[in-house]
Amino acid sequence: MSVIVRSVLLFLAASLLLLAPVRAEMAPARTPSVEEAEAGLQKAGAQLAVIADKVDQHREDDARLVELKNEAEALNRSLLAISVATRPRLEAIKARQAELGDPPGEDSAPEAAIVVEERKKLAADRNAINALTGEAENLSIEATKLANSITEIRRSLFTDAILKRTEISGDIFTRAGDALVTEVRTLGRTVAAWGKFVWKFKRLALLSAIGLSLLVALVLLVGSLRMFSPYFNRASVTERPTYMTRLSVAFWSTILPSMAATVFAVTSYFLLDVFNVLRPDIAPLVAIALAIGVVVFFVLKLMNAVLCPGDGNWRLVRLSDRGAFRLWLLIAVMAVVNGADYVLAAISEALGSPVVLTVAKSFLASIVIGVLLIVTAFVRPILKKGEPPDAPGRPWPRPIFLALVFIGAGLVVSALLGYVGLSRFVATQIVVTGALLVTMYIGVLSGRAVSAPNAFAETAMGKRLEARFGLSQLGLDQMGLAAGFGIHILVFACFIPLILLQWGFQIADIEAGAYRLFTEIHIGSITISLVGIFAGLMLFTIGFLLTRWLQRWLDGHVLARSQVDAGVRNSVRTAIGYAGVALAGLIGISAAGINLSSLALVAGALSLGIGFGLQNIFSNFVSGLILLAERPFKVGDWVVAGTTEGFVRRISVRATEIETFQRQTVIVPNSVLINGQVGNWTHRNKLGRLELALSVHAGNDPLRVRDILFEVVRAQPGLLRNPEPSVVFMAFSAATLDFEIRAFVADILTAGAVKSDLRAAILLRLREDDIAIGAPAAPEVPVKISPEGAELLGEIVGQAAEAIRSRPARRRGRASSGEDNP
Amino acid sequence: MITMLLALTATSASAWAATVVNKDDSAYVLVVTEGGSRMEIAVEAGMTETICPAGCFVTLPSGDRIALTGGETIEIESGTASVK
Repeated sequence: MSVIVRSVLLFLAASLLLLAPVRAEMAPARTPSVEEAEAGLQKAGAQLAVIADKVDQHREDDARLVELKNEAEALNRSLLAISVATRPRLEAIKARQAELGDPPGEDSAPEAAIVVEERKKLAADRNAINALTGEAENLSIEATKLANSITEIRRSLFTDAILKRTEISGDIFTRAGDALVTEVRTLGRTVAAWGKFVWKFKRLALLSAIGLSLLVALVLLVGSLRMFSPYFNRASVTERPTYMTRLSVAFWSTILPSMAATVFAVTSYFLLDVFNVLRPDIAPLVAIALAIGVVVFFVLKLMNAVLCPGDGNWRLVRLSDRGAFRLWLLIAVMAVVNGADYVLAAISEALGSPVVLTVAKSFLASIVIGVLLIVTAFVRPILKKGEPPDAPGRPWPRPIFLALVFIGAGLVVSALLGYVGLSRFVATQIVVTGALLVTMYIGVLSGRAVSAPNAFAETAMGKRLEARFGLSQLGLDQMGLAAGFGIHILVFACFIPLILLQWGFQIADIEAGAYRLFTEIHIGSITISLVGIFAGLMLFTIGFLLTRWLQRWLDGHVLARSQVDAGVRNSVRTAIGYAGVALAGLIGISAAGINLSSLALVAGALSLGIGFGLQNIFSNFVSGLILLAERPFKVGDWVVAGTTEGFVRRISVRATEIETFQRQTVIVPNSVLINGQVGNWTHRNKLGRLELALSVHAGNDPLRVRDILFEVVRAQPGLLRNPEPSVVFMAFSAATLDFEIRAFVADILTAGAVKSDLRAAILLRLREDDIAIGAPAAPEVPVKISPEGAELLGEIVGQAAEAIRSRPARRRGRASSGEDNP
Repeated sequence: MITMLLALTATSASAWAATVVNKDDSAYVLVVTEGGSRMEIAVEAGMTETICPAGCFVTLPSGDRIALTGGETIEIESGTASVK
């Protein structure tokens, strides 16, 4: 093999070696001393006590509890890490003790003092480490128990909030009424005092906070509007828009303004806080009002998009105009009532009003929402297929009707029974989770619609991309698939956390869950890490691309410039390709956390398969490697393998492609090429001999003919002088003299053309020199004839001779040599 | 192909849990602390047990206590345990 191939292999080996120290560095450099571990344990113990204290303090605060639980779990992990770090020391002690062996018996000679001392020290160290690990173990148990108890506390918190029962009686309402009067008065006073103060001293801060956040929201809204305007603009389509357009308009016209509203709410609260405009008693009120405002805005926007009370053409669902309008109204009222419930509850909490007031308000809100649901059940919005939007609607399908009545009645009844928390929870779920689910569903539908065949090309963005980058139909279709997939991911990533938040999960909960989902999924004793697998895939891709780049660079720059033969270049490129992919695969597998040693097991299982079924493929594979290394032929060679003759087009690992002269590609398994005989016309050089057989009439002089032929051959361009051409007198018969011309050409590929030219030249020359080529079947033909016939024939010939003799004499030279007639 | 990949993942992923291999002729009892509780796990002679998928403390037959993060293999041979 050439130097280049060898150097490439060296390079690969060197890069493998380079990886080795990296692995070594990842291992802990030194073992911490026992004292350090002890200090770490003490710190962990103190932390655990602090966490336990905090849990006691924040028994009512769900969000805080989640954080504490995460802290406890992290502490548990650090305990484990501390103990694991002491393990090498323990191993070393054990090894040393084994080296020393058992202490000598009483009757044998005592050991040297230094050995006794060492024994003592080792035993003491070993005990210390064991004690330390035992302590860590106890702490770990405590930490786990604490984490479990936090979960328990949170569960009971949730059930308390939902299933707490209050006796509903007239007394409650009178007390609530009193409390309400006080609350309104206090609220008025607080807000007025705050407002006066802010207006007098913090006017600039207030206005700039609101102005700035409005600006941010507007920039976001305008920017996204410009970006998505084709999805967004209802006016741009005059007649009835397609389902796809309606879907995307509905989705984006809900999402974008809602996002802008969220940004406005968050920034304005943040800025008000930063500018010190908020007072501690006002801050929660502003926060909840902003949050609820955003939620209500989102629900209303969504209902607008789905129901479109003003324009039946844009309605996503098949509902009548009147039905849609009524539904819109009912849902809007429900959302507002539910939102108001939460705002008022927050106000009561902030102002320290009695709980009874909150209960009364939630009671009323639940009853209102329940009644509204029952009313909704009696709206008749349904249209049959093909009916115009302004037709009178029909009642709901029975299941929906029953569900609405049942849930509405349930809300009212549970509120009346005193389960106000439960009915409030359910009412919120119906409004907010329902809205989120509807948006999610629309998002999923629009994702599906985008990824439908040829749908993406129809969208405005698809058209723009087509015009800009000149994408083909196929490319657009694939982009549509990708876009659909992206929308799906976006929808799930955005809405599932929102819904979970709705259901009482805390953000820290979701973060921890997502973290766990991505780093370790336990199935029985198997742990799968999505991040690891993803990293492995990424590394493999990077390695693959790097290999391709290296191949191209080496081929195009180094090898091409050093005038290396095309076949060698091909071999080098292929070898690098396989080595690189294998290397990238190994790195990727290791990064994915798949243990390579377990590959041995799989390989063992496979070896049986290779022995039987894969035998052929494997032998072809090895043959392919041999072909690349030995290079009996290379790409572009003219080979003959069995009945196949043609040019080698590609040598891959399993088979070689040979293109015949008829342009048929024949795939020949490599093992055939290695095991069988392969003729190669262009192995070392392209020199080739051509043979041309020809015959002339037997009456010619063979030596003369040979000389003439030799002259022609020597004069023929395209034939080599050295090795010298030859003309061989092969055979003679009664009819012909057979010759063969043997001559060499520099490039065997030109042999066909040269032969053709040569034949033409020979023929012209033979004609010129009057050398007869053709011959009859036999020189003399006996004819049988009767005596009368002969006499008659003689007479005719005599007359004819007479007639000819009487004409002027002319030369009949050809007849003398030809003697064609008997 | 996919089954092969799955098999590969399965065989390799089990490496995350710790494994106890008993090469002796007699059974041993290990005390494993995991998830806030201590439990005793018997490893029969010549058997292999898989313990603690997510880190644990183990008390070896010799009385030594060690912590495992998972992925280790404990070999018990002629009465002494060693972590690999």
